[in-house]
Amino acid sequence: MKKVKKEVADKYFKTRVTMIAIFLFIGFLVSFGVVFFAEQINESGVYIMGMPAHYYMGAQGAVVTFIVLLFLNAVINDRVDKKFGIDESRNEQISKTGTDH
Amino acid sequence: MDQQALVSLTLIILTFALYIGISIYHRAKATSDFYVASRGVPAFWNGMAIGGDWMSAASFIGMAGTVMLLGYDGLAYIMGWTGGYLLLTFLLAPQLRKYGRFTVPEFIGDRFDSNFARLIGAIATIIISFTYLIGQLSGSGVVIGRLLSIPSWVGVLIGVAIIAVYATLGGMKGVTWTQVAQYLILITAYVIPIVFMSLQITGNPLPWLTYGNVVEELGAIDRELGLSEYFAPFDEGSRAQFLALLFTLMIGTAALPHVIVRFYTVATMKAARWSGAWALFFIGILYLSAPVYAAFSRFVIMNDVVGQPLDDLPAWTEPWLNTGLLEVTASGEQGVLMWEDLIIHADIVVMATPEIANLGTFVIGMIAAGAMAAALSTAGGLLITVSSSFAHDIYYRLVNPNATDSTRLRAGRIAIFAATIVAGLLALDPPGVITQIVAWAFAIAGGTFFPVLFLGVWWTRINAKGAIAGMLGGLTTTLTYIFLAMNGFILFGIGDTGAGVFGVTVNFILVIVVSLMTEQPSQRLKDEAINLRYPEQMSYEEGQVWLDDTSGK
Repeated sequence: MKKVKKEVADKYFKTRVTMIAIFLFIGFLVSFGVVFFAEQINESGVYIMGMPAHYYMGAQGAVVTFIVLLFLNAVINDRVDKKFGIDESRNEQISKTGTDH
Repeated sequence: MDQQALVSLTLIILTFALYIGISIYHRAKATSDFYVASRGVPAFWNGMAIGGDWMSAASFIGMAGTVMLLGYDGLAYIMGWTGGYLLLTFLLAPQLRKYGRFTVPEFIGDRFDSNFARLIGAIATIIISFTYLIGQLSGSGVVIGRLLSIPSWVGVLIGVAIIAVYATLGGMKGVTWTQVAQYLILITAYVIPIVFMSLQITGNPLPWLTYGNVVEELGAIDRELGLSEYFAPFDEGSRAQFLALLFTLMIGTAALPHVIVRFYTVATMKAARWSGAWALFFIGILYLSAPVYAAFSRFVIMNDVVGQPLDDLPAWTEPWLNTGLLEVTASGEQGVLMWEDLIIHADIVVMATPEIANLGTFVIGMIAAGAMAAALSTAGGLLITVSSSFAHDIYYRLVNPNATDSTRLRAGRIAIFAATIVAGLLALDPPGVITQIVAWAFAIAGGTFFPVLFLGVWWTRINAKGAIAGMLGGLTTTLTYIFLAMNGFILFGIGDTGAGVFGVTVNFILVIVVSLMTEQPSQRLKDEAINLRYPEQMSYEEGQVWLDDTSGK
């Protein structure tokens, strides 16, 4: 066991929180944001993949964005862990020997 | 029995044999096998199992039809039921996994060090999962009944018998691998018909890329007939209702105990994040396909059925007219059928598509097996959740904490078997409101659990009193609003299905206000919350973060 400096630990947490906030904000925009302005988008006559843009976002765009965000999160988080010297195989060991009720 | 019924039956029996074989192979030998599959499920396969767990008979059979009938407004279900995985994977799943318990009520009980909170959590979990379960079982009975032309209660009994065998035997370990198999079966069955329909209508085998033009054409047809366009927003409701429903579905998805528990079956926080990503990828394949089904089938109905003389409807409509899933209400003006004269049941869309596209008996049989897989995989996950609340949270943690491992395993098996039988008996004669209760389950789950789980993970100041007040207040508010909305009392144009907005808000306010007004939680509990900010290798103890730098090899 070795001590982790408070700044380093705080930085890890802050990086995670910032990532999550950005991802959730994008997710919010493509779903709630588009729905909020659906009427205006419909009237504006913007099309994506052959259908009105607001319909496209609801039927396909939002879901695809969600999937991309989740994979980005997984990949970037792995890099952050690596940068902070986290070893996944050690994580697995610790998690196995952890308290199981 | 005709040829179609024979083919469907053979396919269903083959898949049943597969499920039972898998659960015999993956028999549970210890409590940890039974509740969390020994925490050894790889993220990719767990993602697939979450897909099977998540997609119910309603998703498989009903969702495409809902989108077809509601147009744009039906898309709230597509975005809501997928968006919930963002909240779950970003805000809850990895941290709950690091906390390392068997069930959601156990997290609530231990995190706030309160057996009363544990009991509320267990009871709410049982109520939510049980209503959902009855919906699945009656749904699977209806599917078997319709496709095999037998009474639906026989179908329910068959479904119950199969689940009782494999869930009791395999526990979570068996259920995990049957859910993987069930996902593969249901997604194949779901995608094949629209690929062929896409070839017939657009000449391209990838319907997701080409159905946009069909949507646009549907709008043009509607304009011509003087209807509001298919893609016109908020045609069936208001913007407030759409947003409230979207919010309720997302929050509810993130707080459903039977979904959360699947994240307990992986090894680490990293694996939990990857599980979430794979899960939404696999779920997305079905959710991206549902609007395609909707567009194609509406296109066919608009072109081949509407505007036809009443005595010259396409042959595929006849059996559906006979079963009452398709109804013609008026005699038709000028002798032809009008869109307004048609009453279309949402369930018809997926089941009729293979017949509309002339795909033959094998594909129709696959749809039957796929619908059964969807119902059984969800029911399996729900049964584990219900039984773990009884046998683990209530019996072991509250009644008999000294029980040995083998006693607990037996208690789990008895609970799961009993729960299957009780749910099966209730599903034989489901209370009339059951489909509605299943829809409300999202509002109830979100209103009861989401704020408490979210703040339990992220806020150190939350204490047991705040959590209890939040859960009870959120549950009461949700139920009250549903009741009021059903009786015509509507706030801001939000109907009963959007009740989660109010429940979640009240829950959040109560947790925060009551926690701040009462005493601080103990330092140990605060430390446990801070500890969840870091990966397993980093731990928070005595006001200091430690890195376990022993080699991982």
